[in-house]
Amino acid sequence: MNLLEIKNLHASIGDTKILHGINLTINRGEVHAIMGPNGSGKSTLSYVLSGRDGYEVTDGEILLDGESVLEMEADERARAGMFLAFQYPVELPGVTGMSFLRAAVNARRREAGQDEVDQLEFVKLVRAAAADLGVDNEMLKRAVNVGFSGGEKKRYEILQMSLLKPSLAVLDETDSGLDVDALKIVSDGVNAQRGGDCGMLVITHYQRLLSHIVPDFVHILAGGRIIKSGDKSLALEVEENGYAGLVDAA
Amino acid sequence: MPHKLSEIISWPEQREKAKTYFDSYGWPDNRNEAWKYTSLAHLKEGKFTASSDSAPIDSAQVIDSAAQLEGFYVEISGSAVQLPPQDALPNGISITDITADDNARAAAFTHLADNHLLPALSAMHQTSAIAIDIEKTDSAAPLPAVILNLTGSNKEGACYPFVIVRVHKGAEARIAEIHSSHAGLSCPLMVYEVADDAKLQHIRLQAEASYTTHLGLNQMQMGKNSQINSFAISMGGALSRLETHSLFLGSDAELAQSAIYLGRDRQHHDITSFVAHEIRDCASRQLIRGVLDDKARGVFQGKVRVAPDAQKTDGQQMSRALLLSRDAEADAKPELEIFADDVVCSHGATVGELDENLMFYLKSRGIAEEDARNMLIDAFLVDTLDEIEDPDFAAFMTSQINRWSLARR
Ligand SMILES: Nc1ncnc2c1ncn2[C@@H]1O[C@H](COP(=O)(O)OP(=O)(O)OP(=O)(O)O)[C@@H](O)[C@H]1O
Ligand SMILES: [Mg+2]
Repeated sequence: MNLLEIKNLHASIGDTKILHGINLTINRGEVHAIMGPNGSGKSTLSYVLSGRDGYEVTDGEILLDGESVLEMEADERARAGMFLAFQYPVELPGVTGMSFLRAAVNARRREAGQDEVDQLEFVKLVRAAAADLGVDNEMLKRAVNVGFSGGEKKRYEILQMSLLKPSLAVLDETDSGLDVDALKIVSDGVNAQRGGDCGMLVITHYQRLLSHIVPDFVHILAGGRIIKSGDKSLALEVEENGYAGLVDAA
Repeated sequence: MPHKLSEIISWPEQREKAKTYFDSYGWPDNRNEAWKYTSLAHLKEGKFTASSDSAPIDSAQVIDSAAQLEGFYVEISGSAVQLPPQDALPNGISITDITADDNARAAAFTHLADNHLLPALSAMHQTSAIAIDIEKTDSAAPLPAVILNLTGSNKEGACYPFVIVRVHKGAEARIAEIHSSHAGLSCPLMVYEVADDAKLQHIRLQAEASYTTHLGLNQMQMGKNSQINSFAISMGGALSRLETHSLFLGSDAELAQSAIYLGRDRQHHDITSFVAHEIRDCASRQLIRGVLDDKARGVFQGKVRVAPDAQKTDGQQMSRALLLSRDAEADAKPELEIFADDVVCSHGATVGELDENLMFYLKSRGIAEEDARNMLIDAFLVDTLDEIEDPDFAAFMTSQINRWSLARR
């Protein structure tokens, strides 16, 4: 069975139609990259997948492990294994990092019928995962994302991913805002999740990320449609020639 | 809200004045500017009798949690008061029943607002009067005095407890007020006289019965170089108004005064504060937070007056209300009256709902809707709770908020 199947997906925000019939299938262990001009609907697709209120599916289907997620709330989808690394992670003043991470991990564990994590164990687990991603302890003590730099926020997203171990991860421009070294660290973190059960949808503007996280497939999204799919060479083509030729041809 | 700095009027005179005032004005309704958002019209019909009930009610939960607060308990139940025996009190603290002491009562009223409903009600009907004196001692800050109003009564009953707390020069005091009566009308009046160089840590919990109309007045009088750290929670009652009147009577005094109101069903909570900077070089900081669910209504009225001589005043005030339901409503009326030119004053008031972006972020991590809401509500209140200096008081007030959150689920 496919991990994710998106069939003829149409979606609107309010009265504005943004996605016009997207078809995409992701299998376990595959990395799919999505590239596309600004405003083409990449983030919209990520929100529609993760069940954000206000994003209405007007036609089509989204199946995760063969089951429709359309009737599921965002939190149910997350507990079913979906994860979204936000393009713009929000700040949560007053919500401390550890309690937030623990609430998220426990929600996922309860769903899987597992016991809640032991507090001390959890702190160790988080510290270890954080160290791998170059997230320092000081950041873990602060309120979630508050006062983090752009790059720190992105690392923190990947830290959450590595703790939640999703089956489907959507990374929305996780590379933007990262310096060269951070890009390497974050990519290593992502690659560590790769393989086995986890499928990934990596949204990016830059071929550079894709040299670290080598995709199995590359799709070009323009005007709310996938206008071309190919292998990693398609990303290089975009880097060289831009989208204009592709959009005109479609 | 005018106040006077005058000599003592005898108690019978005080009562006579109060009666004259009440006879001509009666219960205010929305036509009265100071009561624009909180009408007491329903009290016009009410036939309240001062409760003489001496059997304290068993507000089990409140009492249980109050017991977390180690200290000296002053229990008020209608006209009955139960004071700790003097020999149980440490050096420097004395607690006296002044119900029959007209001179003491008259003296305690010296700085209270004239022509004002709440002092007038108290003067007319006081069911009990207690004085707590705290002197400076060499030993470490003593255990807190916990004032419990547990008047067991019915909807027709009323209680008008009065307490004056005098923190004498250089002394440090910790006082907790817990209002958990079952009276139809509960009108506690508390006066805190904090003398020069003295310090008061104060918390106040209003957790009255679900039908109670609570009209409380806390008067804070601050001497030179004194400090008050005060925190109030209003969460009980059907309609409640807490007025705080804070007067700076000496320079270099600091007031940190925060309040949280938590409303659900059709509850109505009103926090009305008046800070009078009469003297130079004083600071006041007020944080007010409200959380309103269902059809609850919240009101914050905050007046800060800076007299012409009160140069170098630092007056900060910020109120924020969080609406959890479409039918909830919040009103805020901040007012700055500044007559001095060399001051730093700011105020602000916001009313908003839970931020959808934040809700989505939490839910996208698998956190269920209700849990996400509660996390954000706690987050909304936490910086205010951080204002409480005393760790025991902070723990107690936090547990009260958690109790409210749990009950809301
Ligand atoms: N709340 C909204 N209401 C109406 N239109 C919206 C809303 N949010 C996004 N859009 C529109 O939807 C389209 C797609 O936006 P989206 O954010 O998905 O683009 P994107 O491909 O992620 O772009 P970028 O590369 O800049 O991140 C844009 O035209 C945008 O203006
Ligand atoms: Mg985007």
